[in-house]
Amino acid sequence: MVNDGPPAPTDVEVVARVLGGDGEAFGILIRRYEPGLLRFATRMLGNPDAAADAVAESLVRAYRHLAQCRDPARLRSWLYRITGNRCRSHLARRRTNDISLSEAPPLADASDSWAVLERGEQVALVERALNALPAEKREAFVLKHVEGMSYEEMAAVTGARIPTLKMRVHRAREALLAALEELV
Amino acid sequence: MMAMSPIDPRLQEALDGERDPGTLPMDLREAYARLVGAANLLQTLPAVSVAARVMAEIHDLKPEVPSVRPARRLMRWLARPRAVTLRLRPAWTLALVAGLAAILLIPTQPTNRPSPGAQEGIAQFVGHFPGARSVEVVGSFNDWSRGSLHLRDEHHDGIWHGAAVLPAGPHEYMFIVDGERWVPDPLAGRYVDDGFGAGRENSLLIVRPAQASLDEDATLR
Repeated sequence: MVNDGPPAPTDVEVVARVLGGDGEAFGILIRRYEPGLLRFATRMLGNPDAAADAVAESLVRAYRHLAQCRDPARLRSWLYRITGNRCRSHLARRRTNDISLSEAPPLADASDSWAVLERGEQVALVERALNALPAEKREAFVLKHVEGMSYEEMAAVTGARIPTLKMRVHRAREALLAALEELV
Repeated sequence: MMAMSPIDPRLQEALDGERDPGTLPMDLREAYARLVGAANLLQTLPAVSVAARVMAEIHDLKPEVPSVRPARRLMRWLARPRAVTLRLRPAWTLALVAGLAAILLIPTQPTNRPSPGAQEGIAQFVGHFPGARSVEVVGSFNDWSRGSLHLRDEHHDGIWHGAAVLPAGPHEYMFIVDGERWVPDPLAGRYVDDGFGAGRENSLLIVRPAQASLDEDATLR
């Protein structure tokens, strides 16, 4: 069945509606970007509850300061930037880049080969390897390979320069590959 | 501690989408598949939602009207004309005149200010970075290398100053705040693409020969 409904409003149109007093329209932006932001924050913090807090705080902050978004056509980058900053604040409060043992996913038996592991166990192993990376490299890897961003968009999100980001992604791949080989 | 070694540049190129992974040798293809597979596993979307919580929190809020940015506020403050009223007793006026005369008649002492040559000029750098711990300038004049031109916040008011003698002509530059944040000069007025393709721009400064400035000043007098 073909959906003949009106086309979804662009980010620019929704931002204009919110700034014009239609606060409910912000829900459109939440529905549009919340899943990716939650995934990004979860990968950064290694904890779904902390990620939910970081994303909720980021979205409230984005709403309050929406008028300061200079380029609503790049709203996605702006939201990821705010969320990335909140995640860094959470990590700084924890004073460690590693998740605690109670939060760590259980390790599969190292004698199991990768192919016979259940998907959930594979996810747990990859999450553990990712959480062992320093925050900057973890962020670069997640933005590039999980969120599928270009280096240009990553630069807009992180404020870092493209050569720096390429180096972080390359180092993250090396570390992740080494960790996965060690874990499996 | 895990052993970490550089991985083959061809694998990095394939992961960056710059090379067809099918052209990789078998061992690199396995590593490629492992990393791509790991990324795919991480792409699972969380099942939770914070939408209701956020909408409840913003229900009674309104987006804030942005305040004027500090740099713009500084520019306005500097550009706004101000009336200064002095109310002096005649005795104080005479003392003031005597003091001014003494200042004008005493030969000036050499200062530590940089002195430019014939084909050089003095570049002044000013930036407003409240709370910054350090601000330095890198640019085409120092091969973008750090450590040679630090600005100072003498009054601890977030306004950082510095000056340097530079060859006359155009120079691209950026501020580095707290040793890691690259920031273009909001007061530069001119900017050029930094060549890295991300739409980012370097600030542009055009230094005029100091001698030319002095000649113009003399003509105006």
